[in-house]
Amino acid sequence: MTADSAPLPIAAGVRARLAQVHPIVPWLLVLLALLPLPLVLPNAYTQYVVNVMAINVILAVGLNIVKGFAGQVTVGHIALMAIGAYASAVLSTKLGLPFWAAMPAAMLVAAAAGAMVGIPSLRLEGAYLALATLGLAESVRIFISGTEWLGAAIGFEGIPPPYLGPWALDSHYAYYYVAMPLALLGLYFSFSILRSDIGRAFKSIREDALAAAASGVNVPKYKVIAFVISALYAGCAGSLQAHMAPGFLHPNNYTITEMITLLLMVVFGGIGHIWGGVIGAILVTIIDDLTRDYYEYRMMMFGAVIVLVVIFMPRGLGGIIDDFLVRRRFNVLRGARQTPRTDVHAA
Amino acid sequence: MLLEVRNLTKSFGGFVAVANVDLDIREGEVRGIIGPNGSGKSTLFNLISGVYKPDAGARVTFDGTDITGHESHAIARRGIARTFQMLRIFQGMSVIENMLVGHHAMIRYGTAAAVIGARKVWHEERRVRAEMLEMLAFIGLADYADMPAGELSGGQRRLLALGRAMAAKPKLLMLDEPGAGLSPTNVDVLMEAVRALQQRFGLTVIIIEHILKLVMETCGTVSVLEHGEKIAEGTPAQIKDDHRVIEAYLGKEMRDDQVRAYLRSA
Repeated sequence: MTADSAPLPIAAGVRARLAQVHPIVPWLLVLLALLPLPLVLPNAYTQYVVNVMAINVILAVGLNIVKGFAGQVTVGHIALMAIGAYASAVLSTKLGLPFWAAMPAAMLVAAAAGAMVGIPSLRLEGAYLALATLGLAESVRIFISGTEWLGAAIGFEGIPPPYLGPWALDSHYAYYYVAMPLALLGLYFSFSILRSDIGRAFKSIREDALAAAASGVNVPKYKVIAFVISALYAGCAGSLQAHMAPGFLHPNNYTITEMITLLLMVVFGGIGHIWGGVIGAILVTIIDDLTRDYYEYRMMMFGAVIVLVVIFMPRGLGGIIDDFLVRRRFNVLRGARQTPRTDVHAA
Repeated sequence: MLLEVRNLTKSFGGFVAVANVDLDIREGEVRGIIGPNGSGKSTLFNLISGVYKPDAGARVTFDGTDITGHESHAIARRGIARTFQMLRIFQGMSVIENMLVGHHAMIRYGTAAAVIGARKVWHEERRVRAEMLEMLAFIGLADYADMPAGELSGGQRRLLALGRAMAAKPKLLMLDEPGAGLSPTNVDVLMEAVRALQQRFGLTVIIIEHILKLVMETCGTVSVLEHGEKIAEGTPAQIKDDHRVIEAYLGKEMRDDQVRAYLRSA
């Protein structure tokens, strides 16, 4: 988890020099590097998959904040995405708001819903919280399926693409320039949070809520903040999904299968590990795309992978990265200093 | 009085863990609280620090403010820091992060500023990090600042738990069995650290301890609990001669051989 404090796994010397500049500078460089990506992609479909990757990165990074940092076991996250998506769709079609206004508004709607999902977390923990959030999520999906003005089970169509002046960003290539920068921005925010007092408050709650409170951390407040921040991410991802060509939403995009897929991204990547979550989101999006024909079996497959990951690499890919980069450093340190100041009796 | 406890009572179901305890802690004193196992010492700490809510009729005043039944984090913010018997350090976080969580109440920037990574957050983080490194140096853990706390040895964890409580810059520090599991030499090291901290920061300290030697040598006044009631209070010398105290320890089944050893030598 300590590797989270570095934005990129890079050499210490380079990192020291980067520390002299504002932390956003590396991100601008990454943005520049990613700009020409559509030029090298073979077709629009590949571009579409890359855009889905960006959306999933936002979703997974957001989920990691509440689940990985704050340690709250929520399995209702996909419903927050649905709320963001449908809010954005309704605001742009029924009220005629442009994407640029509908998306922030949808994020706020999702955040409000996130606060409500967070309230059970003040009383419930672990599996009980998981059940409560799952119940909330399923009721959102069923509500959508049965609500005529949300398209019910037929789906919501005709959601307009974003416009940049006179240009409609309705091709997958153009949409990349909306989704990718937002994903990077989300990542940057996530690192800012983690490296700040807020991130430490989240982690202290995950580690030991009682000790966190004794250190002055207002536990209920920070739990709700974690839920709200991660809901903002989910709302953003949902809105991006809604406005992406062909501008169509269906309640079946938010079933428990999608939730398991989302969980897999975070678990496979490494709970509480930002880069792990990103890699997890990208890999799972690819796997997801390759196995589209086997949708019915996906739950079984992904479920099995989650079980295997939890057993054999409980800290995910991120944990392996940590072991490689961080632990090695401390083993060297410990080898060099074999004289700790105090020691306990062999108990 | 820095801390005034009046009529503090807590029962769990029919079991009375703490009964009508009064306690007055002067500013700058080091108070010891002793008592056999299950005499309500830890419950007393949990009541003062807000982990449990006291039964009706109790009144806890700290630094002139009534804090009876306040939330744990609110009490911490008023200047009461504590350690736990089981330490409860944040094992998945680095050593310096543990310290920074301890310092949480003193960090002044909002959530929004933190999310966007505002410049003032950046500066404030540098400042508090340097400050915490200094405190880590004071307890001898500076070299381990970026190590996951779960990788520390037992003695180092105990020091970190103390450091995390100190990081809050408290007015009152409550230590719950700081010497448990330490070898006699390391108890001395720890007590040296507590004394140094107390003198340097003008702290008021309350120590719960089984190791009587530690309490007798460090504390100006000692309060003795038995069955949740305060049965004696006085200087270590007075306590040693108090027949009720000797009864409380000897009359019960002896658990702590250090208690036995102490009483034999006294």
